Amino acid sequence: MPEAYLVGAGQSDFGSFPDESYRSLFRTAYENAIDSVPNGLDPDLIDEAVIGTLGVGGRQLGLSGPAVTEHLGLHGIPCTRVENACAAGGYAVRQAAMAVKSGLADVVLAGGVEIMTDVSGDSVRFWLGVSGETEWERLSGTTFAGVYAQMARAHMDQYDTTTEQLSRVAVKNHSNGADNPHAQLGFECSLEDAENAPTVASPLNLYHCCPTSDGAACALIVSEDVVEQFTDEPIRIAGVGAASDSVGLFQRETYTSIPASQQAGADAYAMAGIEPTAVDFAEVHDCFEIAELLAYEDLGFCEPGDGGAMIDRGETARDGTLPVNTSGGLKSKGHPIGATGTGQVVEVFKQLTGAAGDRQLESPTYGLTHNVGGSGGAAVVHIFERERSTAGDRR
Amino acid sequence: MSGLATIRAAASYTPTFRIDAAAFEQAWGSFDAPGIESKAVPDADEDALTMATEAGRCALTAASIDGEAIVWLGWATTTPPIEAEALTPRLKSMLAIDNQTPSVSVTDSTRAGTQLLREAPADRTALVLVSDCPQGAPDDELGHAGGAGATAFVLAPDGHAPITEANSYESPKPGVRFRQPDETYDHGLDIGQYERSAFIDAIASASESITTADADAVAVQAPNGKRPYRVADTLGVDPARIKRVGTVHELGDTGAASVPLGLTRALAEDCSTIIGASFGGGVGADVLRIECTGAVPVIEATSTEGQLSYAAYLRRREAITTPTIDTGAAHVSVPTWQRSIPQRHRLIAGECPNCDALAFPPSGACPQCRTLVDYEPIDCWTSGTVETVTTINRGGAPPEFAAQQDQQGAFEVAIIALSIDGRSVSLPAQLTASAGVGARVKPVIRHIYTQEGVPRYGVKFQPASVQ
Repeated sequence: MPEAYLVGAGQSDFGSFPDESYRSLFRTAYENAIDSVPNGLDPDLIDEAVIGTLGVGGRQLGLSGPAVTEHLGLHGIPCTRVENACAAGGYAVRQAAMAVKSGLADVVLAGGVEIMTDVSGDSVRFWLGVSGETEWERLSGTTFAGVYAQMARAHMDQYDTTTEQLSRVAVKNHSNGADNPHAQLGFECSLEDAENAPTVASPLNLYHCCPTSDGAACALIVSEDVVEQFTDEPIRIAGVGAASDSVGLFQRETYTSIPASQQAGADAYAMAGIEPTAVDFAEVHDCFEIAELLAYEDLGFCEPGDGGAMIDRGETARDGTLPVNTSGGLKSKGHPIGATGTGQVVEVFKQLTGAAGDRQLESPTYGLTHNVGGSGGAAVVHIFERERSTAGDRR
Repeated sequence: MSGLATIRAAASYTPTFRIDAAAFEQAWGSFDAPGIESKAVPDADEDALTMATEAGRCALTAASIDGEAIVWLGWATTTPPIEAEALTPRLKSMLAIDNQTPSVSVTDSTRAGTQLLREAPADRTALVLVSDCPQGAPDDELGHAGGAGATAFVLAPDGHAPITEANSYESPKPGVRFRQPDETYDHGLDIGQYERSAFIDAIASASESITTADADAVAVQAPNGKRPYRVADTLGVDPARIKRVGTVHELGDTGAASVPLGLTRALAEDCSTIIGASFGGGVGADVLRIECTGAVPVIEATSTEGQLSYAAYLRRREAITTPTIDTGAAHVSVPTWQRSIPQRHRLIAGECPNCDALAFPPSGACPQCRTLVDYEPIDCWTSGTVETVTTINRGGAPPEFAAQQDQQGAFEVAIIALSIDGRSVSLPAQLTASAGVGARVKPVIRHIYTQEGVPRYGVKFQPASVQ
């Protein structure tokens, strides 16, 4: 199968920007992505675009892909919007890789964008609930905080996981986000702060929940035929895995793991030909801090039920054996739904190209992204490999 | 035969929350509903329809019959949650009574319950539901008095509590008790002697042809805790016979359910001769005489969950909350909701014809064998177990539930496992009170939310600890 490569990625700041539009934020992300390509990339070479967005607020629900690419002057190219709830961005990257691997395109823009903070509190809660199972789960009175809280309660009941362990995830991710200039909540928080925040949906408190965010992020995916034009140190998309599941938690076989994550992870590892132990760092979907612990388990970083112990041991801290969410994760960096998956790729690109600034890891080779839609109705995992040899020696 | 019906079984249901007269005295400096010590308060998701359903289910259980045995349904209330739309079709659905069963509802005065008992057929198995939760303005006597309660009677020729005599009286006397269209609060003109004499005269006239003095128990309309005793002399009975079955002191003014609740209490106490004397604005009165020939099965579903503060009471009664703002997204249309009525009202799941697994809701591929099948309906109305649960705090609820949360604060949402013949199926649902993982819960009908002006009802689960 032809290879696909990541040659550039960039994002806007994530946060609340009353003076920005979804188009202006996307433009910032796009320009940063273009600027990040080591040898430069002429926008005229872009063959195709895939845009992830949920469309919170409903501003441009139809044709929201062309609405941003035409704004950028990417006139006439095929452009598709991808909607898979919070995994829309990750699936945009997957679609871009598929376009390249199929031979239909050589250079594809995978983007994501969301504006979430310019609508009323009631309205944003309406939109946050649109990706849950609507007829039964939502109408039992839950938004995602409630559904993830149910997963947390079940995990605590089965594995004795504690709220303190959830809080430790928040403390770690804030610590990372404090070194990320793009982060929405780029400040440190103490364990005491995280433990004593107001309850949102027990056992989850405010510090166990990511914020709502505005933001955009873009990645540039190219074919093996053209990669040498853009970089001398290619980053190969070594593994791609994706899976779907019942939209409602109550319809699944388990409440203490996300089977779609497990399947997506297993497929990505198989394609990359590596074991989880080979992963040097990961950006995982910590929309709620229980989700990060589930990701440790579902992605094979630890045994089922050991997620809490893994955070206790500090293994996923920046100086740990497997740093997770060096960007700050959804918790600190922010979670502009459609942009989250591409935003994770931005962090991987920075880490693998040595551009992560104060949070730079030491020479990582494999970086993994894990993006979940809803409470697990969709999941997508990518494994990126920095190729240290010359392009001619590619595997 | 008299052409009057015979009570075969009865049940009552009252909401679990109470507020004391003292809470009103603290708030207002006085409590204006004499003789009431506490009153029942419906929870935010309870109304006359849900209370009637609960009482109805209990009455069917007491009579050891299913809803399909009912061939006539009557519902009485002065507080229907929606007007100019029949709610008996929903009641029939919730109680598994055949859609084609004739039904009537009476809503025009606090006599409604006794009117139905008078008019119910004598020769068939019928169900009479009476439920009410009248409200007055927070600063008047009706507001202080307004309570809540429901009762239900299974009527059948083979019952042991025949209504042997009944009489009514009506006379045009406006202004005693009324409500303007599109208003929540009942009003009276508070013309003391006019109202008192209207009450006494109407009951006296309705009781003229009926023997009352020998009754063991007398259930009298109780807009407050003093008024019923004013007809003790008229009826020739000891006030203790009235007090014996009076619910007003504990539940407040239960409107149309006032006299029927007293009748149910009398049946529960095995009284043999029972009088019911109702009164309603307009004005009118009904007097019934019941002569029991044997014990009547009665279920009284009354438990007390907790005392409310005055502020919590006002929130639950929507006196200080604002309606939900409809912002549109993820809208479940009324036709979509309607298609799920068997699941919402009766927990009808599906049984896979391929592998026998259960599916809820019963649509789409089988959750076990993944085959796209047409399910066999299976009744899953049974107690279940909490698999996992969260408490949704203020701000954490979807906007459809913001009004409920304003009224009652945080609420719990669980995933409930229902087990049928060794097979399990799960659904998400609210709990009516707190329960942990592993707790046993039973299904109840509650108001889920209102959108586009249409109240929607469905299943919640009540922890065994409050049953």
